[in-house]
Amino acid sequence: MEAASVSAEHHGPPEAHHSSRVEPQLLGMLLFIISEVMVFGAFFTAYFFIRVVSGDHWPARGDELPKLVAFVNTCILVSSSFTIHWALVCARKGNRFGLQAGMLTTFLLGLTFLFIQINEYVHIGFSPHDSAQASVFYGLTGLHGAHVFIGLTLLAFVTIRSFRGHFTPEQHRGVEVPGIYWHFVDVMWIIVFTTVYIL
Amino acid sequence: MNGERQSARDAPVHVARLVTIGIIASALGIVLALLINWFPVSAAKQAKPIDTLWDVLLIVSVPVFVLVTTVVLYSVYRWRMRPGEELLDGPPIHGNTRLEIVWTALPAILLVALCSYAYAVLHDIEEAKADTMEVRVVGEQFAWTFFYRDGGKELASHDLYLPLNRPVHFTIQSKDVLHDFWVPAFRVKKDAVRGIDTDVRATPNRIGTYPVVCAELCGLGHAAMRSDVHVVQPQQFTAWLGKLRSGAQAAAPTGGGGGGGAKASVDAKTLFTTSAQPVACGSCHTLADAGTNGTTGPDLDQVLKGKSAAFIKQSIEQPNAVIAKGYTPGIMPQNYAQSLSPAQLSALVKYLQEVTK
Amino acid sequence: MTATAQHSPASSHRSPSPTGGSRSRFRSPGHVRALLFLVLGVLFAAALVIAVRALYGFPIAADGKVTTATQDGILLVSLIAAPLFWLVGLGAFDYWFYWAAGRKTRPEDHSSHGAHSWRDYLRVNTDHKVIGIQYVCTSFIFMLIGGMLAMVIRAELAAPGRQFVDASAYNGLFSVHASLMIFLFIIPIFAGLANYVLPLMIGAPDMAFPRLNALSFWMLPIAGTMMVASFLAPGGSFATGWTAYAPLSTDAPIGQMFFTIGVQFAGASSIATALNFLVTIITMRAPGMSFWRMPLLVWANFSTSLLVVIATPFIAASQFLVLLDYALGFNFFVPEKGGDILMYQHVFWFYSHPAVYIMMLPGFGIVSEVLSVKSRKPIFGYRMMAFSLLAIVLLGFTVWAHHMFVSGMQGWIRVPMMITTAIIAVPTGIKIFSWLATLWRGVIHLDTPMLFALGFLCMFSLGGISGVMLAMVPVDIHVSDTYFIVAHIHYVLFGGSLFTIFAGVYYWFPKMTGRMFDDRLGKLHFWLTFVAFNATFAPMHLIGVEGMPRRVSDYPEQFAGWNLFISLASFVLGLSTLVFLYNMITSWRGGPRAPANPWRSLTMEWQVSSPPPIFNFDKVPTVVGGPYEYGVPDAQHGIFTAPASEESKSSHPSREARA
Ligand code: HEA
Ligand code: HEA
Ligand code: CUA
Ligand SMILES: [Cu+2]
Repeated sequence: MEAASVSAEHHGPPEAHHSSRVEPQLLGMLLFIISEVMVFGAFFTAYFFIRVVSGDHWPARGDELPKLVAFVNTCILVSSSFTIHWALVCARKGNRFGLQAGMLTTFLLGLTFLFIQINEYVHIGFSPHDSAQASVFYGLTGLHGAHVFIGLTLLAFVTIRSFRGHFTPEQHRGVEVPGIYWHFVDVMWIIVFTTVYIL
Repeated sequence: MNGERQSARDAPVHVARLVTIGIIASALGIVLALLINWFPVSAAKQAKPIDTLWDVLLIVSVPVFVLVTTVVLYSVYRWRMRPGEELLDGPPIHGNTRLEIVWTALPAILLVALCSYAYAVLHDIEEAKADTMEVRVVGEQFAWTFFYRDGGKELASHDLYLPLNRPVHFTIQSKDVLHDFWVPAFRVKKDAVRGIDTDVRATPNRIGTYPVVCAELCGLGHAAMRSDVHVVQPQQFTAWLGKLRSGAQAAAPTGGGGGGGAKASVDAKTLFTTSAQPVACGSCHTLADAGTNGTTGPDLDQVLKGKSAAFIKQSIEQPNAVIAKGYTPGIMPQNYAQSLSPAQLSALVKYLQEVTK
Repeated sequence: MTATAQHSPASSHRSPSPTGGSRSRFRSPGHVRALLFLVLGVLFAAALVIAVRALYGFPIAADGKVTTATQDGILLVSLIAAPLFWLVGLGAFDYWFYWAAGRKTRPEDHSSHGAHSWRDYLRVNTDHKVIGIQYVCTSFIFMLIGGMLAMVIRAELAAPGRQFVDASAYNGLFSVHASLMIFLFIIPIFAGLANYVLPLMIGAPDMAFPRLNALSFWMLPIAGTMMVASFLAPGGSFATGWTAYAPLSTDAPIGQMFFTIGVQFAGASSIATALNFLVTIITMRAPGMSFWRMPLLVWANFSTSLLVVIATPFIAASQFLVLLDYALGFNFFVPEKGGDILMYQHVFWFYSHPAVYIMMLPGFGIVSEVLSVKSRKPIFGYRMMAFSLLAIVLLGFTVWAHHMFVSGMQGWIRVPMMITTAIIAVPTGIKIFSWLATLWRGVIHLDTPMLFALGFLCMFSLGGISGVMLAMVPVDIHVSDTYFIVAHIHYVLFGGSLFTIFAGVYYWFPKMTGRMFDDRLGKLHFWLTFVAFNATFAPMHLIGVEGMPRRVSDYPEQFAGWNLFISLASFVLGLSTLVFLYNMITSWRGGPRAPANPWRSLTMEWQVSSPPPIFNFDKVPTVVGGPYEYGVPDAQHGIFTAPASEESKSSHPSREARA
């Protein structure tokens, strides 16, 4: 049984060769974000057809979009991008407190955003049943809200882990990768905000 | 062992043989392909350019297909591994830039040429003509209705009548899901989409009766959503329109055959089993007296037992008002109130009440 | 009885420890816990729906019975929740939960690599080779179901009038048939074959994300079961074709949701696999394996994965939109409220046209492998082969509206789409011609994989040419939605994709199972299939142009003759599949042992034993040359360090002895 003796020396697979400087996790996340962008792309297609191609009034006649609230909300979300970046910088430097504070603030800012968004739904005065424009509004903001929710879940885990003393200056991929996702959620919001509320 | 496998110098021989075989096979193939009677009879001006385009496409396609097959068969025949060659390898040819440029450029040119031609045909068949007649086509589950302009009003019919040699512009609409107005004899087809008007043009040029087909999946009755187009002499058309006009004054448009006015006495049983439009009742419903056993809709012997005439009338006119247990709303056509004349309707109601007592 | 791995089975750490008793069976990940969670998922859905309805004051029960709306609601939410719960129960997320919560994760002890008996294929496993086989077998099961449905379709169409099923059941039949064939057969089986051979080919020990890989696989049975189970739904299965056009689909019985949601799982599965392939190909190639030394199968899957990552989100979204309209009363497709019906088709085809290349490019890869090895010649024009794949990917995104020539969209779009569609034939032509040139003056080994590859060349060309005819707008106006389209579909999907799948399955069968198949039966399978396939689908061109629309359960008398002929031929086609099945099953169980490299191939999966060692290589090989250098004296592709090549040679006698 020579084969067996060979395997006895090997308790695991051979070290894979790294044929690219990019880290697998990072690349995976980037590709995933491309997919996500395309999901938004499909919803924007709906937006394009219902708003641009048909040339109907936007939002539907009689409806009003709370631009100011949304703007404040945008600021909140954008600032959370800075705080998570700060957390990452701290993690790189080994500043544990900075990491924890950064993550916690980011998480709370995100939560505030979601809360304000839901509050906006409650008070906005129209529902997706009323018109296709309203459907697109709820579709796009709701899709984005779902992404905020996913992002928040990831952030919650990162925050918990940072309080448990994980992550070191050498090992902080667990902050970096969810961070990229969070930045994506932010950028997506800026696009949604501009197209849906401002234009 | 290598004796049979010749050197590269033989290449011209092989190519020459291949070209010969290819030309013969292509010629045979083209003749065969053109001999096939592909299309249904053509009854509109639009058909001719499309049929010609088709023939051109066949003439171009057959050699391409023959090329691929001949090279495969020839290579297999000529260079198949023979006993003793198990360990032999072929010559290490990695490519040939000139060849690759040729087989990129040639198809590209060919295809662009075909596209230009197809564009010309498209332009031709969709051109607006003078003296065009307007017909509004409305699809619904599962029937077609055709509306003719008549002064300020519109006249409706379930059969399409068109005068010979007069260009027609169809405006196509849908009341519910997607349908597709297709007249194979005209080679024209366009979806009916709720919410927008689509359109298509045809100039009938052959007397006769041809099918109108719904070509877009629209649910249960999709296969049965057919009608007829009658291409007639202009005088006949005017006469028919006149009849339609007087019929419209007297009653709703008639169902079924011929386009004549409603018959005075209605045979309700025939109506039930075969002639009600868009779908004969018996094709979906079981009714012992009429000897039908459809299962798409509820068994009328049971669900109509002892019901009032009003209930039966409502069930025909507004099928979704009351839905029998185990059945889904929206399946039965909702236009019998229009497609049946009042006389037909009341005869049918009376008949159904009688036999399900 | 099956592919026992050659390393001595350390069976002690495999099976769940027998001492745990039933309580730990419920708690430890596996099928028992999964079942439990499945039930929990349904209960959760019921609770949620009842709570929400109560909150909004909708009736929950009437006359002592639960209302239909409530029932449908529970069913709908269950369709989403139950599979997710099931996956959690199966343990698909355990690791990530632990990791995310910052708990100590079990270090990967690789205990779940390799398969030692057929039962191991039923368990969650992270070994790409096991997952590959799981994929292939599962896909074939769904192919058989889809094929049986096709047999019922043909039985119904054998004569005009009603034979066996009514119109609504018929609509369900072809809808489920096509959905299974596309989403659960062609797409996943390509992923499965590549899963098995791609890491071996590029010299990687496994995929980049083995756990994600397992998750991708386990989403498939969910999607498939859902689609098949739709026949049991109240109101029947989904019946709107695989295209599920709105507004027919937004206003259908609840069975429609089995498609809408099933597709989400199938789509998520393919996106995850595509991510995995891309990351694996980019980051895990062996030293020396530059992009221009990758086998074309790897190139093909690279291109396909790009397509999947970019396009598949669109079908997910299209079905989201349907779901929102259907379940929550949104108005995306309600024109009276400003919605746009044609928008569905744009979104759908923006995915589904690329999807047809998702279903063809991996096949191109397989054919490149088989043709080169079996004609003992390098692939002709290797770089153009790779470039043409990328060209197809790019062009594939610019042609979607060729499915909408008669849909009533703005007329001008048809012209640019006609041109791009026709131009796609150019890169495809480059491939076809290069393959022909590869055959030229080769030493052609005419065995089963090669027969299927050659059959593919001819049949796919025919299907592609009918595609080019369809691209010509005036022709498409007449033949769109007729049996001409059905003929095109099957020539490209059966004559194209499925022939390459057969070629690939036969080609890698020795590698995957360690056994040789019966070549005589294989040839019988090929000829039966080839003849019956053409007899079935060629006449469809004729009746289509003559005026027979597709998707009808009944047709005019004039088409009766050909339809009977087609039906009879299709039954032979069905039976030919039995020959294949018989060959596969008996050969897997008792075929002669396969040597490491029966085809004398250069690519690296053939340089290790058959089946490969658990961890593929003892040490990652070094690549020093191209993969197709046949006929070049002393050409080498991968160099293996001593122990690995020694093992691949010497482990055979010892296994022979064991057998
Ligand atoms: C594997 C799947 C697959 C593939 C590869 C293709 C490939 C192509 N398809 Fe097909 N197609 C489908 C699957 C596929 N299709 C399906 C499933 C549908 C129906 C969907 C539905 O409605 O249900 C469909 C429908 C469909 C339509 C819509 C018809 C309609 O509904 O009205 C059109 C129209 O343009 C089309 C065109 C093409 C073209 C131009 C190609 C080209 O890529 C083909 C290119 C290949 C060749 C041309 C052959 C080889 C080339 C040469 C030998 C070079 C020289 C050739 C020439 C100069 C001509 N296809
Ligand atoms: C890869 C994809 C694929 C494959 C392999 C097939 C395989 C087959 N298809 Fe399918 N088909 C599609 C994809 C595919 N199809 C698509 C996309 C559509 C469009 C749907 C739509 O309109 O939405 C379609 C539509 C379609 C139609 C048109 C329906 C309509 O428009 O009304 C028909 C009709 O004949 C048909 C027939 C067949 C047949 C006879 C086979 C055969 O090749 C099947 C052979 C296999 C088996 C039979 C299974 C194995 C055998 C056994 C288990 C043994 C038992 C055998 C016997 C009892 C005889 N298909
Ligand atoms: Cu109307 Cu099909
Ligand atoms: Cu397409």
